[in-house]
Amino acid sequence: MRIWKKTARATGPQTSAFECQALPLLPSLYNIAFWLSRNASDAEDLVQETFLKALRGFPSFEPGSNFKAWIFRILRNTYLTSRTGLEARRTVAFEDELNESRESGPAQIPEAAIDRQTPETNLLQMADRAALQAAMETLPPPLLEVILLCDVEEMKYREIADTLEIPIGTVMSRIARARTALRAALEANHRSSREIRA
Amino acid sequence: MNNHLSHAILNALADGELSAEQLAGANEHLAECPSCTSKALSQSLLKSATAKAGRRYAPPTQFQEHLVRLASEADSVGQGPGMRSAPLSPSRSHWGFESLGWATAALILLFTVSMMFVERAADRAKVASTEDAALVTEVFDQHVATLAGNMPLQVVSTDRHTVKPWFQGRIPFSFNLPQGLPSDTTLDGANLTYLRNQPVAQLLYSIGKHRVSVFLRQRSGATDVNALLTERSGFHVVSFSTIDLDAIAVSDVDPVRLSELVSSIKHAQAGEQQQPGRVGP
Repeated sequence: MRIWKKTARATGPQTSAFECQALPLLPSLYNIAFWLSRNASDAEDLVQETFLKALRGFPSFEPGSNFKAWIFRILRNTYLTSRTGLEARRTVAFEDELNESRESGPAQIPEAAIDRQTPETNLLQMADRAALQAAMETLPPPLLEVILLCDVEEMKYREIADTLEIPIGTVMSRIARARTALRAALEANHRSSREIRA
Repeated sequence: MNNHLSHAILNALADGELSAEQLAGANEHLAECPSCTSKALSQSLLKSATAKAGRRYAPPTQFQEHLVRLASEADSVGQGPGMRSAPLSPSRSHWGFESLGWATAALILLFTVSMMFVERAADRAKVASTEDAALVTEVFDQHVATLAGNMPLQVVSTDRHTVKPWFQGRIPFSFNLPQGLPSDTTLDGANLTYLRNQPVAQLLYSIGKHRVSVFLRQRSGATDVNALLTERSGFHVVSFSTIDLDAIAVSDVDPVRLSELVSSIKHAQAGEQQQPGRVGP
């Protein structure tokens, strides 16, 4: 990030309105792209294509509106039509479609499943960043992207809905499902770790 | 505690998405409910940990520099959106692309209009070609009908001062007849006839024993028969146009001799052009 800011400043007077808004978002775009594509080469391709599309489409961008949501939407649409995106959609589409019907409202999770967890347990599990990253890797793209935009990019639900072009209720239910899935993965990891130690 | 906070409320609480009223209600409940407080804390911890774990990949420096170069290159070739010197107001930064957009639109419009003109010109050429072919056919038929029929000429005279005045009041244009004709060429007379529904002067000449019909008509302006030179069934067709007239000659005589006659008629028109509707002396 530090290197990037230095580079952006170095452009000085040549920095354009587009560059001023787009270039600081490059680390975030790359991070999301890497999470979605799962490799550096595809992530670079994805970001570059997003960057060029945004560059070309910038005249259609309405000044004063949410540039971050706009360029992330371009990234997401570019990903969906990319090779890795299409493969991922083929892989997870069926599972996602099966569960999509529950997205209109809050997730229906048995309360007992939640009650088994305590803040202390979560804290211990979440202290292991690698375990959480491994858990995130198990999320299907629709859940992963929503949790990345919400927790990593700190976007509001409305921004996420605009970016992903889905209803805000779907955003809320996907976030709930993503967190439930993360908890389940962490719990499974914690159990297997205890079993190994035992 | 029957009315625990829903998962949606707990998520919205962790994400800072509750309205003031919802937040007040949630806080009131959390103050009395250890279970929901535990869940809320869990949510916040998970969110915080996910945020840290999610920031996993940083773009390589080279890649960043590559994109900066891309932006600069786009700026230098004028492809960038408002990529002018900073700071730019949004409206000014858009002006570059707007100009480019308008210029592109203008080019497209120009290209489209040019293509329309080209297509129309091609269409006109095609129509003209078709019209010429139809005219030749009609001329040919008229000439053959004149030779085949026993109908006498409407005006029979070898004197151009008799033939030309005969058309006065019969045709809406005037023409000149050559004083001197090529060798072995004589004026036989003329007919008033019609081509393409227009009154036409049909002059009859003889070149040796060959008959020649020269059709003179007022020029419509739509077609130019200057380059019309063709042959059909042993008959030759030669034509020319002046500012006011179209002339088409048809005969089975040698085309060189036919061209000599046509040339003399053409020169006669150049010597004296007269107003339509007025037959000259």
